[in-house]
Amino acid sequence: MTNDVVVRLDGVRKEYGDTVALDGVTLEVRTGEAVAVMGPSGCGKSTLLNMIAGLDRPTGGTIRIHGDDLGRLDETRLALFRRHKIGMIFQFFNLLDDLPALDNVALAAQLAGTRTGPARRRALELLDELGIADRRNAYPATLSGGERQRVAVARALMNRPALLLADEPTGALDSRAGEQVMDLLLDLNQIGQTLLIVTHDERLATRCASRVVELADGRVVRERSLERTP
Amino acid sequence: MTAVWRAARAAVRRRKLQTFVIGLVVLMSTATIVVALALLDASSAPFDRAFAAHRGPHAIALFDPAVVTGEQLAAQKTGVSASAGPFGQVTLDLDRNGPGPEGPVTVVGRADPGGPVDKLDLWRGRWATGPGEVVLNQPPPAETRGVPRTVDVTLGGKPFTVVGYAFSLSGSADAWVSPDQMAALHPTATQMLFRFKGDTSTGAAVEARLAAVTAGLPAGALLAAQPYTVVKKQASADIGAYIPLLATFGVLGLIVAVVIVGNVVSGAVVAGFRHIGVLKALGFTPRQVVAVYLTMVSVPAVVGCVVGAVTGFFAVRPLLAEGFDDLGLGGGIGVRPWIWAVVLVGMPTLVAVTAFVPAVRAHRLSAAEAISAGSAPRAGRGLRVQRRLGGLRLPRPVSLGLGLPFARPGRSLFTVIAVLLGVTTVTFATGLAATLDRMSTIRDAANGQIEVHPSDGKSRMVAEGGKPPTAPPTATTKTDAQVEELLRGLPDAARVAAIYGLPVPAVGQTQPLTVVFVRGDFAAMGYQRELTAGRWTRGADETVVASDVMRERGLKVGDRITLELDGRRAVLTVVGELMDGPQGPEGILADWSVLTALAPDRVVHPWEVFYQVQLRTGGDVAAYVAAVQAADPSIDAFDTSQVSDFVVTVVGFSSVLALLLSTVAALGVFNTVVLNVRERRRDLGMLKSIGMTPRQVVTMVLASMALVGAIGGALGIPLGMLAHRYVIPAAAESARVAIPQSVMDIWYAPTLAVLALAGVAIALLGALVPARGAARLPIAEVLHNE
Repeated sequence: MTNDVVVRLDGVRKEYGDTVALDGVTLEVRTGEAVAVMGPSGCGKSTLLNMIAGLDRPTGGTIRIHGDDLGRLDETRLALFRRHKIGMIFQFFNLLDDLPALDNVALAAQLAGTRTGPARRRALELLDELGIADRRNAYPATLSGGERQRVAVARALMNRPALLLADEPTGALDSRAGEQVMDLLLDLNQIGQTLLIVTHDERLATRCASRVVELADGRVVRERSLERTP
Repeated sequence: MTAVWRAARAAVRRRKLQTFVIGLVVLMSTATIVVALALLDASSAPFDRAFAAHRGPHAIALFDPAVVTGEQLAAQKTGVSASAGPFGQVTLDLDRNGPGPEGPVTVVGRADPGGPVDKLDLWRGRWATGPGEVVLNQPPPAETRGVPRTVDVTLGGKPFTVVGYAFSLSGSADAWVSPDQMAALHPTATQMLFRFKGDTSTGAAVEARLAAVTAGLPAGALLAAQPYTVVKKQASADIGAYIPLLATFGVLGLIVAVVIVGNVVSGAVVAGFRHIGVLKALGFTPRQVVAVYLTMVSVPAVVGCVVGAVTGFFAVRPLLAEGFDDLGLGGGIGVRPWIWAVVLVGMPTLVAVTAFVPAVRAHRLSAAEAISAGSAPRAGRGLRVQRRLGGLRLPRPVSLGLGLPFARPGRSLFTVIAVLLGVTTVTFATGLAATLDRMSTIRDAANGQIEVHPSDGKSRMVAEGGKPPTAPPTATTKTDAQVEELLRGLPDAARVAAIYGLPVPAVGQTQPLTVVFVRGDFAAMGYQRELTAGRWTRGADETVVASDVMRERGLKVGDRITLELDGRRAVLTVVGELMDGPQGPEGILADWSVLTALAPDRVVHPWEVFYQVQLRTGGDVAAYVAAVQAADPSIDAFDTSQVSDFVVTVVGFSSVLALLLSTVAALGVFNTVVLNVRERRRDLGMLKSIGMTPRQVVTMVLASMALVGAIGGALGIPLGMLAHRYVIPAAAESARVAIPQSVMDIWYAPTLAVLALAGVAIALLGALVPARGAARLPIAEVLHNE
């Protein structure tokens, strides 16, 4: 693990009308870290994740990812930033229903201009690593929840992102599938993938994260380091 | 306020874009339908309608006042449903102090312009009531043109003041004066106007009824009679050309409007299934849910319908004015009440029925099913296509976009049909404009750039729209040959032709044939391009004949015509048929030597001859015209190389209608993309989250409609070409004109390539705004809400 800062938030504030979702959040995530953001519903976890992923813009403060100040990027550069620097895993997978698993994974590279052949080869490698290569031609509707999330993870890893963001990755899964996804995330972090997980699942946090950031009412109220439990 | 109304009102407020789209589409469609129906209505038997509105006479009969009295005539009622008269009639020479036709005119004494028969349209000034007052017969001018100045005229050498202009569809007179004035003019005939009971559909039927009504009169009482069918034939030929064109645009407009409204409204209801599920979950009964949806789509539909009807009314008025008022049929043409009724009742009904079908489907769904059905297209559609597209070497946003239409095949089909009809209209309009342009070019080339008319000292010719001459007319002192010599000698003259029309009896023909004798460079002026059959003449014993005359006289290529004048004969063989021919009465063309052979002693005055001049390439027409008048002020010359009114009118019609229908088709695409984007918000959010740039989003959405546009274009072009192939000859046939094949051969690869792009252009135009909206979708919000 190196000490390079991947994510640096400085006084980030987000307001929706009169509602303050984030209120001066300052946070750093270093390369190779696995950080879990926890807190009750409505505390601003997902908003924080959206800000870091460049899916939304803060009302105040600065966000730097790998040195890029997201506030200075226009929509196109922001899209390129997401494409090359960020991998996203969603609670409800967000796969395209009309593409088979392989093409869902390959999509991320194809948008970056990679030709179909190389993109599909890389996607197949990832599906193989995640243990679902045999389901590559299956459509999302025919996959189990765990399989869908693996496909989503593979897609997130397709462009070798500097930062993997996961929003309640086990929230829509049964316990067995949730376990598998936790193992997967842990493995990824152990091979050096920087990870930021938003969850309210204490088990996921303690299993996968080395540090927990707790939010309440849009503020960081506590940070703690964890010893991962097997 | 009921729960249904509250829910519907809230839905309208929340779905502003959808409400706007429904309102706009219904507005445009209603306007299109009003235009289409008004055009169809105007083009269906326009003469009969105008004739009925004018209470036109089935027969105009002239009686000898020395043989029969007015009282006797007025008492004739056998088979008559209405009559007007007796009116005194006399033929007098009309001289004007301004522009307009001169010469012998029929003057009738009438007390007023109304009455049970031949109701006149007194469109300017007042009726003639006193001595020295006259009303002239003239069709009302189109709005865009000026009305004639009130001028003084002389009738039979006596001064008269023109106090008004009226129009008689039947042409019962050229001018009207008061009955007292007529008595002073010593009428030579008594005019009676009859409308008959029973069958009057043919000239023979009218003549039979006239025979019945005049049966009891003294022998020799009836001098002449004209059935209305004579006027109808002429008017129908003028209007006939418009009918197939207007009917084509009208039918296309109706289909486009119905398809688009159906697609938009049913799409809106399908897109609202989720909302339907929520309403059901809240306790709305299935009937209430259907009522909410019908109300929701009906509100913008009714507003759009009313505004669209008014818009259509104002849009069609100039079209009708341009197309029909010029022909003097304005009285019976317009947006009639039945059109308002059909549109204002029919359009909301169509919307309601269209919405009702999917709403009934929603009625049957359970709340849970409705909620899940509303989120996205049914899984499994178009998967194979999407997979194959994924393997193509196309940019991924393009291949993703190309697959989108297959997810909603029904909606895509409707959109293809909308684009198809738009492209069909554009193709037809393009073909029509090209054909008319080519006809105009041929006519221009043939008619020459300049017409020349020497004055006889009584009247002068004025170009259409030109200023009246300031000097009184003086007769030219030059002979026919000297005029031709003058025209040849002026700078830039390349070709000069002299044309002289003369009715000549023909053996075997009951009526004399108009023979157009030509000399000079006539054969080289371009008339050969007007040939619709056969070939050009090779000698003085051959003739080519205008198509109208060929039909009227039952002639065909190869026939021989024997002309006879003063005991001399000339036999001409018909070797070709012309689209029309030189200006003036249509007839058969003959070399000037035929005239010399038939009438060697005849002196042809220059004012009887019509001269045509064509200049060398780059010659200055205005300078030549000025040079003619400078050389001899009693010779009028004017530029005739202007595009004809008919071409301008029809190209105007077709351009406006093609633009209107293309816009409606683009709105159909717009609606489809709005619905697709709404249904795929989650997918779009996800794609953006993994790095799809705004430009790639726009590309994907445009690609999805480009395919629809390409298919619509590919199918619409042949349909438009077919319409062009069949409708234009039908229009020509209605106008009793044959057209050369060359004016139909207007399809070339570059034109077709541009038209192929028209479908894509319509689709991209409709898709651009919602595509840019999709590119701006807030990702976090979309993914959070989904």
